[in-house]
Amino acid sequence: MDKRAEGLSRLVKAAAPTLFGLFAVLLLAAPLRFAYGFVPTPILPLVIVYFWTLYGPSYMPAPSVFAIGLLQDFLTGGPLGLWAAVYLGVQYIVLSQRSYFIGRELSVVWVGFAFAAAGASLILWLVMSLMSGELLPLWGLMFQMFITVAAYPVFSIAFSHLHRRVIVEM
Amino acid sequence: MDVLGQDRREGLGRKAESRFVLLLMMLVSVLLLLSSLYSAEASVFRKARENVLDVAAPILSIFAKPIAYVQGVVGDVGDYFNTLEQNQALREENAELRQWMEEALRLRETIAVYERLQNYYAGPEATPIDAFVIGESNDAFSHSMLVNAGSGDGVERGQAVLDDQGLVGRIVDVGVRASRILLLTDVQSRVPVYVEDANLEGILVGRTKANPSISFTASTDPVVFTPGQRVLTSGAGGSLPRGLAIGVIVGAEKGDAVVDLYADYARTRMVRVVNYDFPVFEEAPEQGADEAPAEAAAADSAASALTPAAPAGGDPFADPDARAAAAALPGEPEGVD
Repeated sequence: MDKRAEGLSRLVKAAAPTLFGLFAVLLLAAPLRFAYGFVPTPILPLVIVYFWTLYGPSYMPAPSVFAIGLLQDFLTGGPLGLWAAVYLGVQYIVLSQRSYFIGRELSVVWVGFAFAAAGASLILWLVMSLMSGELLPLWGLMFQMFITVAAYPVFSIAFSHLHRRVIVEM
Repeated sequence: MDVLGQDRREGLGRKAESRFVLLLMMLVSVLLLLSSLYSAEASVFRKARENVLDVAAPILSIFAKPIAYVQGVVGDVGDYFNTLEQNQALREENAELRQWMEEALRLRETIAVYERLQNYYAGPEATPIDAFVIGESNDAFSHSMLVNAGSGDGVERGQAVLDDQGLVGRIVDVGVRASRILLLTDVQSRVPVYVEDANLEGILVGRTKANPSISFTASTDPVVFTPGQRVLTSGAGGSLPRGLAIGVIVGAEKGDAVVDLYADYARTRMVRVVNYDFPVFEEAPEQGADEAPAEAAAADSAASALTPAAPAGGDPFADPDARAAAAALPGEPEGVD
């Protein structure tokens, strides 16, 4: 492989998780409507931010997280900066607990993700309740987070294969 | 898991400054959040939202096509198992609708008679803009949809959006080729409505749940409504046309009526943006201000034979040409002959 192609391939691999995140936001904005809208779409960007912050923080720097969150704010039509703040908050917590989770099996990391999702929900609920001036019903958010947490292992296994075989592998 | 977790530093970030950058980004997003909470309608944010909408619209359109195809196929498979029941239900519904059609035709005739008797002018016609749903905010608190029609197609902020069942919401952001509908269930949604047969006006307030509620604030009398009554837009405040169907009352909660929407957001695929021009009440132009339009208006009203006694230019809706000409050429009033 010549020098330029190698450099390009390295750049694409380095940017891949960020691009996945942006793509996941677009997918979240698509009208998927599982089971005729009964099952909410899992918040895939949250999984991506959590996964790469844990296993490859250099692939998910804070500006990437910010960009992913901001795009989601733009597409959901909510207040700008909300999802960016939520994802950056999740990243901060994960980075501070990273040494504990590294090398643990999936189930432990899964529980960690559940806590991260709960923290994210709390921020979302507080900000949106503050914004609307009343305590909003929590049910819809809890259900969506539950679906996200339930879907985590599938995405985690897929991403770890991707990370090992494609992104890190030169 | 041997490679996972090893820091090989081949990504976009660098370790030395990562914590600092993270805190900086958090600060930036919190500041952004605070400023957008206090000035959500600031033109900078609106402009940015509409630009992002325009950029994302083609990509979302590409996504939406296979999704619609798959859902069509899956829906069809489900239909195979209950064709008989569906046919039965459709036949019954068809019979019922035929009766309604007969009644509608009869009423149309009656109305035509009344229109001939009365000095009646039809209001301005609504010109619909059809659009497909290409995206939605799959968010617990923000409920909105994205459609592939924008200012290039004549969509403007505040217009009502209908699907085949009823009111879906209203336009809040308009890009050139895409726009955002704020659904009736969003926390920020406020739509003036009235309850049919109950002489009740109120505001339909979104609560992030599936069923929004009407809060009645106008009257101090005890509010009486019964489940099953229809709820329609009242047109108060001049933001939406009057009489768009919204839903039926299904119950009460803390004095507010809970409304079951006609629109089924899980099935909303194609929508119609109602481009409605509101009647503008202007001062009637003085007669004789300009000879030619006044004559034209007089000739027009005489020809129509609907308004034998109406003075020329007396009604602002009678002749838009005359109105426009009179507005364009403001002459000295010369008195009425």
